[in-house]
Amino acid sequence: MATSRDDFIIAIRSAFLKKSTQQKFSLLSLLLVSISIIILSNLNFKVIKYLKIGLNEVVYRSSFLVSMPENFAKNTFFEIKEYSTFYNDYKKNRKELEQFKSNYVSNEIMQFENKELKELIDDFVSSSNKILAKIIVDHKSPYLKSIIINKGSKDNIKIGTNIYDQSYLIGRVIEVNYKTSRVLLLSDLNSNVPVTIAPQNIQAIITGTGKNDGKIKYIKGDFSSDLSEENIIYSSGTGGVFKSGIPIGKLKTNKDEPIRNMSVQFYSDFSQLKYVFAEIISKKDIEDLEQVITQTDTIDSKLKILEDEIKIIEDTNLKFLEENESLKFEINNLNTQISNLKDQVFLQKEEIDKFNFDEKEFEFLRLNLVYGHKCRKTFLNSSGFKIDTLEYRECVLNKGIID
Amino acid sequence: MNVIKTNNYFFKIYSFLPIILLFLSVLNEFDLNYLNLKYFSFNFPFILIFFFTLKDLKKFDYLLVFIAGLLNDIVVSLPLGMSSLSYLLICIATSYFRNITIRPSGIKDWFYFLFVISLINSINYSILSLFFSYELILAYYLVNTFFTFVFYIIFVSIFKLYLKGLND
Repeated sequence: MATSRDDFIIAIRSAFLKKSTQQKFSLLSLLLVSISIIILSNLNFKVIKYLKIGLNEVVYRSSFLVSMPENFAKNTFFEIKEYSTFYNDYKKNRKELEQFKSNYVSNEIMQFENKELKELIDDFVSSSNKILAKIIVDHKSPYLKSIIINKGSKDNIKIGTNIYDQSYLIGRVIEVNYKTSRVLLLSDLNSNVPVTIAPQNIQAIITGTGKNDGKIKYIKGDFSSDLSEENIIYSSGTGGVFKSGIPIGKLKTNKDEPIRNMSVQFYSDFSQLKYVFAEIISKKDIEDLEQVITQTDTIDSKLKILEDEIKIIEDTNLKFLEENESLKFEINNLNTQISNLKDQVFLQKEEIDKFNFDEKEFEFLRLNLVYGHKCRKTFLNSSGFKIDTLEYRECVLNKGIID
Repeated sequence: MNVIKTNNYFFKIYSFLPIILLFLSVLNEFDLNYLNLKYFSFNFPFILIFFFTLKDLKKFDYLLVFIAGLLNDIVVSLPLGMSSLSYLLICIATSYFRNITIRPSGIKDWFYFLFVISLINSINYSILSLFFSYELILAYYLVNTFFTFVFYIIFVSIFKLYLKGLND
């Protein structure tokens, strides 16, 4: 018995301490180092933190390069799979597209309304900017569903930054390096997202299952009878980690299962991600804005004076313009008046002319009565003129005297 | 093989092939997860480390195994040092097993491998859930252990061919 125990101790000692010819370190020393690293990383020790940050950048890039052949094989596999279902997908997509088109207009209006209301409620104006990021590592092990993207603190990515596939929420940033970041996907076991189940507006928390779907972890109240396959899930924004109103997925119900086991089918397929969008949000509180205003008071007052000056000049210009306009209008009126008067004068002249003509005619008729017989050509008066001729008229006006 | 041996450069690469494979596998996390087979996963570095440390391959340096563990932790986002600890525990187990074995047998190695990876996965699970509050599914660990155990015999036959080539 004693010999057996001695053999065991010798074997253990040998295993821990003996270094073979080419081994530089004994297993015991390396084991102690790794245990101390684990303890120090658990205590957030600075050296370990910096060591990890330093290694992250190198390892992520190396992992991307090393994964290239496998990724190529993987993509080829998926492409072949896609080709086999291409026609059916096309038909399905066409149907969906028609549906989406009809919903698009009303959605746009709702979005604008939402934006306005959110600004009113939150008391801040948020401006978001989505930047495109490439996935460099997507090793989704059964224990952790995460991806590495090629954007980091250099691109204003922060811990908690929301990550999207198109407009669907897929996760948040949990680790930021200078040029890379790790994104925890919604399908991870450690992911918890406060959501709203529409259209009933039921508040719940969903978590990942470690596979490609999620499940309801907590639901406020007993609403199991109200839920159906048509329910859609979007982020509620509770807690401030995720932005509100971002579509996440659809509810998959099973009548036999209790509410807690209801699964969530995500809109985005996490196994097919190549590029994602990271949302950079900049907030400006109204209070902060006021503070900034007081700090820049002098500049503001100067600007105000200049603005006033500009305003006065603009007002004067405006008045001149108005005056010009009124003068132009007056000129036009006067011109019209003149033309009217001219017309009137012309008419009066015509009248006068007419009157003058009538007077002459009257004189002719009067003389014609008296002297007409002297000028008319008759049997006895052969030197007379024919009536209605010019000579006759002249004769009458000359009081019957024939030249 | 003589051709390889005459070319010193290629022979060096060939002799370092297991360690190169270890680094590639930790960086690439080659586990066929994208096939989306339910629960399917296996741990290739475990098989690699167990086999070559058991066979006491000189180029398979413990320090490099330790570094590979650190890289694996970064790739799969585990607490730094966790994988190194697992890999080194395999090294200790194989070293002990080598010392006590008089007549090596493939079947014995295989079942000893099952015992070792079960023990290490249990330690892993306990540390992650107790000290780091990770939410983990035990079924995944069990399935992973099972498939790693099954795949061991397949990979061992390939590794033996490699060793034969190296010794020739």
